[in-house]
Amino acid sequence: MSNEAELLPGTLDLLILKSVSLGPLHGYAVLSRIEQISGSALFIEQGALYPALFRLVRQGLLKTEWGKSENNRRAKFYELTARGRKRLREETEGWNRLAKAIATALAARPQQA
Amino acid sequence: MSLIAYFRSLAARFLHRARTELDLEDELQSHIELHAEKLERSGMTRPEALRRARIEFGSAERFKEECRETIAGNWIDNLLQDLRFSFRTLRKSPGFFAVAVITLALGIGATVAAFSVVNAVLLRPFAFKDPQTLLWIYSQRPDNARTNFSLPEYCDYRDENTSFEALAAVASYNPSFADEGAPERVQGVRMSANAFTLLGVQPLLGRTLMVEDDRNGARPVVLISYGLWSRRYAKNADAIGRSVNLNGEMRDIVGVLPANFALPNLDSDIVVPLQPESDPRRSARNSVNFLRMVGRLKPNVSARQAHAELDSIRQNLHRQFPDAYTGKVGLTIVPLTEEIVANINAVLVTIFSAAGAVLLIGCINLAGLSLSRAGARQRELAVRTALGATRNQLRRLLLTESFILAMIGGALGLAVEFWGQGALLHFVPTDLPRIETFSTDWSVFAFAIALILLATFLCGLAPAWLLSRSDLREALISGARGSVGGRLQSRLRSWLVSGQIALALVLLANAGLLFRSFVRLNSEQPGFDASDVRTVRLSLPQVGYSDRNTIVQFYARLQSRAAQIPRIKSNALVSILPLATKSISFVHFTRPDLPPAKPEDTPSTNYRIVTPDYFQSMGIPLLEGRYFREDDDGDRAPVGIVSSVLAKNHFPDRSPIGQRILVDDNDGDPRPIEIVGIVGAVKQTNLERPAKPDIYLPLRQTHKDGVPWLRNSAYWVVKTSPDANGIEPMLRDAIRSVDDNVAIGPVRPMSEVLASALAARRFSLLLIGSFAGAALFLAAAGLYAVISYGIQQRTREIGVRLALGAPRTNIFGMLIKQGLSMLVAGLAAGFLVALLLANLVASQMYGVSPRDPFSFALVSFLLLIISLCASAIAARRAIVIDPVVALRYE
Repeated sequence: MSNEAELLPGTLDLLILKSVSLGPLHGYAVLSRIEQISGSALFIEQGALYPALFRLVRQGLLKTEWGKSENNRRAKFYELTARGRKRLREETEGWNRLAKAIATALAARPQQA
Repeated sequence: MSLIAYFRSLAARFLHRARTELDLEDELQSHIELHAEKLERSGMTRPEALRRARIEFGSAERFKEECRETIAGNWIDNLLQDLRFSFRTLRKSPGFFAVAVITLALGIGATVAAFSVVNAVLLRPFAFKDPQTLLWIYSQRPDNARTNFSLPEYCDYRDENTSFEALAAVASYNPSFADEGAPERVQGVRMSANAFTLLGVQPLLGRTLMVEDDRNGARPVVLISYGLWSRRYAKNADAIGRSVNLNGEMRDIVGVLPANFALPNLDSDIVVPLQPESDPRRSARNSVNFLRMVGRLKPNVSARQAHAELDSIRQNLHRQFPDAYTGKVGLTIVPLTEEIVANINAVLVTIFSAAGAVLLIGCINLAGLSLSRAGARQRELAVRTALGATRNQLRRLLLTESFILAMIGGALGLAVEFWGQGALLHFVPTDLPRIETFSTDWSVFAFAIALILLATFLCGLAPAWLLSRSDLREALISGARGSVGGRLQSRLRSWLVSGQIALALVLLANAGLLFRSFVRLNSEQPGFDASDVRTVRLSLPQVGYSDRNTIVQFYARLQSRAAQIPRIKSNALVSILPLATKSISFVHFTRPDLPPAKPEDTPSTNYRIVTPDYFQSMGIPLLEGRYFREDDDGDRAPVGIVSSVLAKNHFPDRSPIGQRILVDDNDGDPRPIEIVGIVGAVKQTNLERPAKPDIYLPLRQTHKDGVPWLRNSAYWVVKTSPDANGIEPMLRDAIRSVDDNVAIGPVRPMSEVLASALAARRFSLLLIGSFAGAALFLAAAGLYAVISYGIQQRTREIGVRLALGAPRTNIFGMLIKQGLSMLVAGLAAGFLVALLLANLVASQMYGVSPRDPFSFALVSFLLLIISLCASAIAARRAIVIDPVVALRYE
């Protein structure tokens, strides 16, 4: 089925929010941006991106606008809303806290037992 | 989630559905194009790049579906889709659909109908405020039967007790009621004026009684019942203020009582104030016992405490006035609510449980059917899963189907109930307490809806549960052979069918026992011959009938009128007709030749005053001695006729003929009566209990204390020739021509009086019988469905067997055997339950043991036959299978 398991649950949303934080992007560009900023280390099944985008729009974190893509095709552009920006900030902080905690935990030396 | 975003999303779904859909298509397509272009740039050919882009994108349809699901209002779409889909599948299997809907309609209809009755009688609020703190109080006779209080006694209890907020007295009062129209005999009560405040009853119109109404010299007033108001005044508000003549006394109507006002064991067409203080019997300790009491407990006083206190008052009175207490040894205190519904309670509980059982059978049936279908559809469901449906979606689908079935079945059930209510009302016995308030109301609807939801839940549960247990992949692989989930499913189905059969047996057994009881009762000899006997209740006016002779003359004139009506064979007067009223009349008597018994052991007997032809008119046989003669009058020594029961119980040593007994039928001393005849025993008050002793005295020798009583109420009994249809007006005219002021009740054939004594029984027999019939039908349908399903599942196997030469009868036998094992298990379980429940229904049986082997054998046999027929019809399908077709099956 899907390979979402390779991403931690919820992280796709965070990556999408991050990728559009610099300006409006259409779907394919979001995917390219994620690959680019993650150094192609994360694999995302391409189609799985769209349900996530729809979900974020529905939650009011993204807004959409139709425009022209670089190859002159009609394309839907996604842009952060104020709520989305706020969420991105919170999620980033949350994620960093978690990552730091886990890193600390993993770096701990085994106790004498 | 942002509300605005939600609504925008909702709008996108419903207002711009087409555009949203196109946009989605565009967006995904454009993604694939962009990716393909990128791949092309890296050197692929255009077709190769497109193909590759599509593969990397994944299943576009799935992602589209997922996108659609994130758009708001998805559940509405899902619901509509499920509904559409369910309807489609249900239409495809009309047989299943019909059976399921009929099952539910029967189950729900029966339950709601039963509930309406229970609701009207047990659950609907009483006309009284806080009925649970109201107690109904009687005096207790040595033989535990109830008797009444005298007026001074009531006043003592009222003034001395501390347990009750108030204590009211009620007496039966059946005067003739006359206004401009024809006089009518009404059955009402006298009540102490505090009664209405105590009961908390509000008038429908006007007012109820006030304390002032009990004062000496107060304006004489009367309250009328809702029934009387509708009957005589067509519900006209100007009835208030009218003057009416009650037994020659003018009273003003001041109020109309609410429709649901009812007193236990008393009719209340009218209510007049008791006026205890001005009553001549106020201080006559030894006077008539004619009052019963009702009291409202003070807060924090229990019925037990109140009983103890009243009993200590009673013991004091007993010490003070030993003479007045020979016949009263205690108190019977009953909560009013219990009193109102007491007799009928057990019956209603049975009816209700029976209806519940029918509904349960219906639900089990439906669950079994859905289960069978779920099994048959497993392959279809597996395919759906493979195409991407989640288990939750499938479960939702199955539940939606059940819900549709339950809704349609429920609506149909309610329709059945509404339609059937008229029929039901027709059979409701008139003495069912408070039945006039019977109707379907919101609580019944609420109940029906609760049932529908329950049915959905029960019926949807089994297949949904099964689905979660089974391995769909396996279903997909081996589905063609139809052996999937086999063991578990078929075991479950067999259990369900056995359960249905067990429940049906319990119901049938109960119905069978009730039927046997009814037949027993119906053939029970009441002691008289009701055929061609007409009866009329009379009430003579107060004025002009002050002594025995005037009544005797009235009857003599009536008799000579009757002699001119050709079809009358004989006629007579009797003080109380057998089985006709709630009133009781008995006297104590002693044998002077025996040492006096203790006061509480003094024997008592039913007491009737009759004219000589009474026994011939009623067909009561003379066993010994003679009938009364016209010359048994005031000039001769008083004579009496006793029943065989009295003779047997109290003269075991010798014939009572020629013996004298002392009969305590007056306010003075017991008077000697010489027994001149013995007649057959008559069931005077209750068909279901053995006859009690009776004593009959001739009208011409009535003691003067008995005159007011006789004047107040007597029955004219007329034996006609068999072709006496339409004689009723002649009987009424005969009475009027003797005295225009006599209040005349309706003319009732004695057979109707007899039948109405069985009405309650007929009613419950009818209800339980129809429930049992429904249960039988449903159980048989369930068995049929399971066997046919089994055949369908095993078509291929049967085909193989046939092809290999198995005789068709063997296959038939194999299938029947399968049905038989379910049947036997069900019967065994049903037997066990029915035997365990036997004690609960024992009180409703008459002359039949609640474990009556005959009834049990009969209903088991019936169930067995019907079920075997159902199995045989189903199994017949197997033996007409063509092996060639069967092997190609699926």
